[in-house]
Amino acid sequence: MDLEKKLRNIGISAHIDSGKTTLSERILFYCNKIHAIHEVHGKDGVGATMDSMELERERGITIASAATNVVWKGTPINVIDTPGHVDFTVEVERSLRVLDGAILVLCSVGGVQSQSITVDRQLKRYKVPRLAFVNKCDRTGANPYKVKEQLHDKLGLNSVLMQIPIGLEDKLEGVVDLVKMKAIYFRGDNGLDVVEEDIPADLKDEAEEKRELMLDAASMFSDELAEAYLNGEEIPQDMIHDAVRKGVLARELVPVFMGSAYKNKGIQPLLDAVVRYLPAPEDVENTALDLDDNEKEIILKSDPRMPTVALAFKLEDGQYGQLTYIRIYQGVIKKGDELYNTRSKKKFKVGRLIRMHASTMEDISEGGCGDIVALFGVDCASGDTFCNPSLNYSMTSMYVPDAVISLSIKPVDKKAADNMAKAINRFTKEDPTFRCYVDEESNETIISGMGELHLDVYVERMKREYKAEVTTGAPQVAYRETITKRADFEYTHKKQSGGSGQYGKVCGFIEPLTEEGKNYEFVNEVKGGKIPTEYIPAVDKGFQASLAKGQLIKFPVVGVKVTVNDGQSHPVDSSDMAFQLAAMGAFKEAYMKAAPEIMEPIMKVSVEGPTEFQGNIFASINQRRGMIVSSVEDGAICHVDAEVPLSEMFGYSTVLRSLTQGKAEFTMEFQKYGKVPKSVSDELIKKYQEQNKK
Amino acid sequence: MDKSKLTSKSPLRVLEESVKGGLDKGKVTVIASKKGVGKTACLVHIAIEKLLEGKQVLHVSFSKRTDYIISWYEDLFNELAAAKKVENVAELREEVMKNRVIMSFVQDGIVDKQILASLEAMIGPGNFKADTIIVDGYNFQKATKADLDLLKDFAKKMNVEIWISASLKADDVIFDANDFPVELTKFKDDVDIIISLRFKNDVIQMKVVKDEGGDVKDDIKLMLDAKTLLIAEK
Repeated sequence: MDLEKKLRNIGISAHIDSGKTTLSERILFYCNKIHAIHEVHGKDGVGATMDSMELERERGITIASAATNVVWKGTPINVIDTPGHVDFTVEVERSLRVLDGAILVLCSVGGVQSQSITVDRQLKRYKVPRLAFVNKCDRTGANPYKVKEQLHDKLGLNSVLMQIPIGLEDKLEGVVDLVKMKAIYFRGDNGLDVVEEDIPADLKDEAEEKRELMLDAASMFSDELAEAYLNGEEIPQDMIHDAVRKGVLARELVPVFMGSAYKNKGIQPLLDAVVRYLPAPEDVENTALDLDDNEKEIILKSDPRMPTVALAFKLEDGQYGQLTYIRIYQGVIKKGDELYNTRSKKKFKVGRLIRMHASTMEDISEGGCGDIVALFGVDCASGDTFCNPSLNYSMTSMYVPDAVISLSIKPVDKKAADNMAKAINRFTKEDPTFRCYVDEESNETIISGMGELHLDVYVERMKREYKAEVTTGAPQVAYRETITKRADFEYTHKKQSGGSGQYGKVCGFIEPLTEEGKNYEFVNEVKGGKIPTEYIPAVDKGFQASLAKGQLIKFPVVGVKVTVNDGQSHPVDSSDMAFQLAAMGAFKEAYMKAAPEIMEPIMKVSVEGPTEFQGNIFASINQRRGMIVSSVEDGAICHVDAEVPLSEMFGYSTVLRSLTQGKAEFTMEFQKYGKVPKSVSDELIKKYQEQNKK
Repeated sequence: MDKSKLTSKSPLRVLEESVKGGLDKGKVTVIASKKGVGKTACLVHIAIEKLLEGKQVLHVSFSKRTDYIISWYEDLFNELAAAKKVENVAELREEVMKNRVIMSFVQDGIVDKQILASLEAMIGPGNFKADTIIVDGYNFQKATKADLDLLKDFAKKMNVEIWISASLKADDVIFDANDFPVELTKFKDDVDIIISLRFKNDVIQMKVVKDEGGDVKDDIKLMLDAKTLLIAEK
């Protein structure tokens, strides 16, 4: 079978609570892979099949992106269940990387919410073609037409209705297919019987009208269709499908489908659409960087005869060891093949090769071109590239943001300490935004990440999965220090009393480094060998070491340019060590003169809620030293974008809930580092000094 | 100082000096032109000048997206900074943009009671002490005199100056012999100042056609560079 021509690798992207997990589960069900349907928030305590982790089951959200293989009418589909919460964006983005297409799930009542915007932006960044599915059409207030408009207005998508609903809210019966011009009902147990009937008389005009709009949009992508449409000819269904597919692949058209996963309505036509409109691996261009050729971009070919290139995008700790999910971009992978990890520069042999179903796994002997499979027992980190040993490619590096929050973590006993170490080792491999280090001064273990919830979830997982009982300290914002003006230094490090002496003198200045994206620059302008060339690297090293902790509140110093232009050495007593210490002394001397300031992470916060609570929302942002950038009122809903310091955002969800009767929600992501106002900065310094006294 | 450098030779300064009553708090000023002459640019330019004076600006628009308005500000600011050869553009921009809030309303270009309530929420609980309110895209074709009075009362009550843009849509006669926009005739008594904009020979001609009580006698005319909206050098 030509897998690269037939396979679909799809993701299901959505706002939290728009019913994504339920939809994934229904997809698995209809593909005859599972035998009973359980609800996410279910009463039977079994939970949906995709949520493999207990924790997710409890919170009703999906955290890990398990890849699951199903077959729909002969077409294999890998479903990647992407996490919905912004705090887990790296997981989301990593799964988006391996997708060829996506279903954007929207709630028919809530429509395009703040998080849908984030998710859509990610889909755009990774150039993923998409279909939209308007879920929960059985809910009170359901309005798929409005959602279609919002896709256009808020996300700028060329959204086109491919169906219209037959009844809405509790009267939802089925959908009208605007290509076939037939009413489709879902009858029998769990809606398994798909029945086609004539369009109900009262919907005929509406269907005709919407079909016209759909044909109008589709004909932009096919001259053939445009001609037939203009001439009023009978239009073959395939001609429409081809045109829509072209539009979707070009990411210029987003067909909109609808139904209710919970009520088993509309899922089978959605699966048909996935097969019809979303791309096969062959239709998507992927690139890698050739490490042997100055990271030149190489276009990969979905050809099973070419040398293998695959990306490890997800690690999981299974019962039998580490499971590595990989996407094969070029060539195939067979059991017993030798592969080369281009990051660790190590070769390894492919042992067990696995295909994952929702809760079972199947041993396979070959992973085809374009497929997503899993390897057992391979030592690697996520994001690694595996190649045929004849190649040295790396898939484009993924964007990994800086951590903005950290907290100290302490195991309660020896056993917990061992388990905690195991857990942290695993998590840091799985998630590049989750980091861990030991603070030298306090000797505490510190974990850092992208938000409160992000760290919370890992602490919970330590407890549940690794039985590591831990206590945590208060979350700590990752501040930075920087300088704001130039300051000179002239420092001599001298220790010549007995024993081997030390001598080094450095002169120069430090100044703010304005170039964006650069944290440190070292310029050597020493003339005439005043500082012998062999000691220059030691001077550089000394300054770099000084940057690790600033003198205000001991946070890393960024944005510093150091210029060394003079110095002095001693024929006997000078050494690397002496010059390194001289540089550190020089930095210390100059730093406080360079008007140092504290910087803090500023988050981009989006709040969405009913207009009636607008005043409360504004006030809550204002009280948090926030700056409102914009507010958009659309009918009864207002959407406020603001920039707020992270340090002020702790506990905001509780506050927002009580201010708005639970009717508003918010998302946040890191935006930039900004200067801390004087009053806050003074307080931070005071607090730091008090802590130090103890 | 860079800020003062940026406001010198600004059309706003000249206007302020020439308009009899002065462009001041509590006043409603309308900038009228045909589509595409640069009303939005002109309003944003005025907003930036206000910001540079350390004032707080509330920008009201009627579209679903606000990102393009933000780009207007960024682009014009950069343009202005480049024309005046200002250093530290990014820092200065950040400093002044802190004092700007954009509020957008997805409805038909009329500032009604609901919108005014939202503006009050921003000024009150949101603690945004607006000095200037910019209204881009006001629908004068649909507005009634009562609608405009609402706005005028608001300007007085909140002690803010309000700048509104009017898009002139008439097919035939747009300006009368005195350059007064014909479509705004019925609102003549409801606003304090009316300025008309016309595009002529690569420059934008800005003319005060109504000032406080009555028509303008002396000809207040300004020629602006179409790109920077600064007074054109000759």
